[in-house]
Amino acid sequence: MSDRHDDAVHGPLTRAGHQPDADAGGHGEEGHADADHGHESHGGLGLYLAVFAALCLLTTMSFLTYSSVWPWRDQPHVGWAFMMAVSCTKAMLVVLFFMHVRWEANWKYVLTIPAAMMAIFLALMLVPDVGMRNRMVSQERALHMARPSDIRLMEQAAGAGAFADPAAAH
Amino acid sequence: MNAPAHSLPHGHDHHDAHDGGHGHITLQYQPGLPLSRGKLIMWLFLSTEIMFFAALLGSYVVLRFGAAVWPKPHHVHLSEPIGAFNTFVLICSSVTIVLALEAAKANKASLAKSWMLATLLLGTLFLGVKGYEYSAKFSHGIYPSAPHSRMYEKPDLYYGSAVRARIEALRKMPKGQVPTLLASALVPAKTEDGKESAPPTTVDAIQALIALPENALSDEQRSARSHLQQVIKMADDPNQQPFDLAVIADQVMPLPSEHADSHGGHAHGLNDVFPWLRLPAVIPGGNMWASTYFLLTGFHAIHVIVGLIVFTILLLYRLDRKRAGMIENAGLYWHFVDLVWIFLFPLMYLF
Repeated sequence: MSDRHDDAVHGPLTRAGHQPDADAGGHGEEGHADADHGHESHGGLGLYLAVFAALCLLTTMSFLTYSSVWPWRDQPHVGWAFMMAVSCTKAMLVVLFFMHVRWEANWKYVLTIPAAMMAIFLALMLVPDVGMRNRMVSQERALHMARPSDIRLMEQAAGAGAFADPAAAH
Repeated sequence: MNAPAHSLPHGHDHHDAHDGGHGHITLQYQPGLPLSRGKLIMWLFLSTEIMFFAALLGSYVVLRFGAAVWPKPHHVHLSEPIGAFNTFVLICSSVTIVLALEAAKANKASLAKSWMLATLLLGTLFLGVKGYEYSAKFSHGIYPSAPHSRMYEKPDLYYGSAVRARIEALRKMPKGQVPTLLASALVPAKTEDGKESAPPTTVDAIQALIALPENALSDEQRSARSHLQQVIKMADDPNQQPFDLAVIADQVMPLPSEHADSHGGHAHGLNDVFPWLRLPAVIPGGNMWASTYFLLTGFHAIHVIVGLIVFTILLLYRLDRKRAGMIENAGLYWHFVDLVWIFLFPLMYLF
C-alpha cells in the first residue's frame, strides 16, 4: 500500500528515469519524517528467528566435522568442502535476509558482483607466487623450513617415552 | 541533491512543459539509484570491505595450502568450542541489530534501544572471548613476531641453542621475577666470599626448583621437575643427537597427535606445568600460522570495535523511526562483520 502511494508521488520521474523495481519505490530517505515506509512488509520477527535458527543449525553442522561422529575424519578435503558449503549458505542467509538484499532493487548486483569478482580474482592472482612458493625451494630454505618430517619426528619423540618417570608412578 | 518531498509534485506539474519552457526550468531530482545516500555510501564501503577481507582471506588460503606444513588447530592451542561459541554470539548480535531496526521502524524507540544495547553487549562479549583466546596464545609464546614469539619451526640446532640460552637466563633470573612457588627455596643470599652486604640481584631459578622439597610439589610438578633436569642434561650434552632435540621439544610443549585429546586440546608440557620457564617451543609452521591468525582475527576485531563505537553513539539518540536509516546502515556494517567471521571461523578453527 505504501508502495502505491510512493508510486503516485514519484510516478512520472520514475518512469523517465527507468526505475527497475517498483518494490524499491518505498525506500525511505533518511530525512523523511512522514515516512510510511515500504519496509514493513520485509522480514518480520518470525522470519528473522527462522533465519537465526537456520544459522545456528548450520554452525552446528560445520562444527560436526570436528567431532567424532564425522565419518570422513581421514579425508580432510571432504570436511573442508562441506564447511565451505555451509559457510556460503550462512553468508547467503545473512546477506539475503539480515542485510535485506532479498528485497532490494537491482542496484545490489552492480555493487556486489564486481566486488565479488575482483575479490576472487585477487585471490587467484596470489596462487602462482604465493601458493606455489614451495614447489621449488633453495636447498638452504629447505633446510630451515618446517616439513612434515618434523611433525613425524616430534610424534616419534612423544611416542618414544624417552624419559623413564619415577615420579609419575606416585 | 536531497529530494524534498514537496518539490516532487511541483516537478510533475511542469513535466509536459519541459521542451517549450522559456527559462522556466524547474530542476528535478531523479534518484539514480533507488536508495538513500547513506545506504548507498554504506554499500559502496562494504564492497571495498569485501575486497579487503577477500584479499586477507585469499592470502590466508593460498599461504596455508601452499605451505609445506601447517599446524593443526590444537597444535596452536585453538579451542574449537570457544570459536563456535563466538560464532554463536555474533549470530545472536546480528539478530538483535535486525530487531533493533524493526523496532525503530515501528517507532518503538525504547524497544529499539534495548535491542541495540543487547547488540553492544554481545559484541563486547565477542571481544572479551577473543581477548581471552589471544591471552592463551600469548601465554604459550605464540606471537606474530620475533621479540615475543617463542616458536621455532623445527627441532634443529637453532632450537637447541635457544633452549640453552633460556636455561642460562633462568639460572640468572632477576629477583623480582621469581615465581611464588620457588620463594620458599630461596636460601638467604650467601655470596661466595661470605659477606652479606650485597645480596645478589639474580637467583638461579633452576637450582631453586631442584632444591624444593618433594612435598612442596604436586605429582605432576615432581614429574615435570625430573623431566626438566633430563632436558637440561640433554640440551648441554656434547654428543647430542638430532632426535634428542625433538625429545626436548616434545617435553617442553608436546604436539598433540589427534584431536581426541580433550583437555583444552593439548597435553601438558614443561611450559604448561611451570609457566614461568618460558622455554622455546617447536610448532612446525607455527610462525606463518601466527602471522595470518593475528592479522585476520586482528582486523576482524578492529571492525568489531568500530561497530561497538557506532552502537555506543547510536545509543545516545532516541531510536525512533527517524533514526531507522542510521540503524539500518550500522546494521549493514555489523552484518558484514558477522559475515567475515562466518568464513573466518571454519578457516581458522576447523580446517
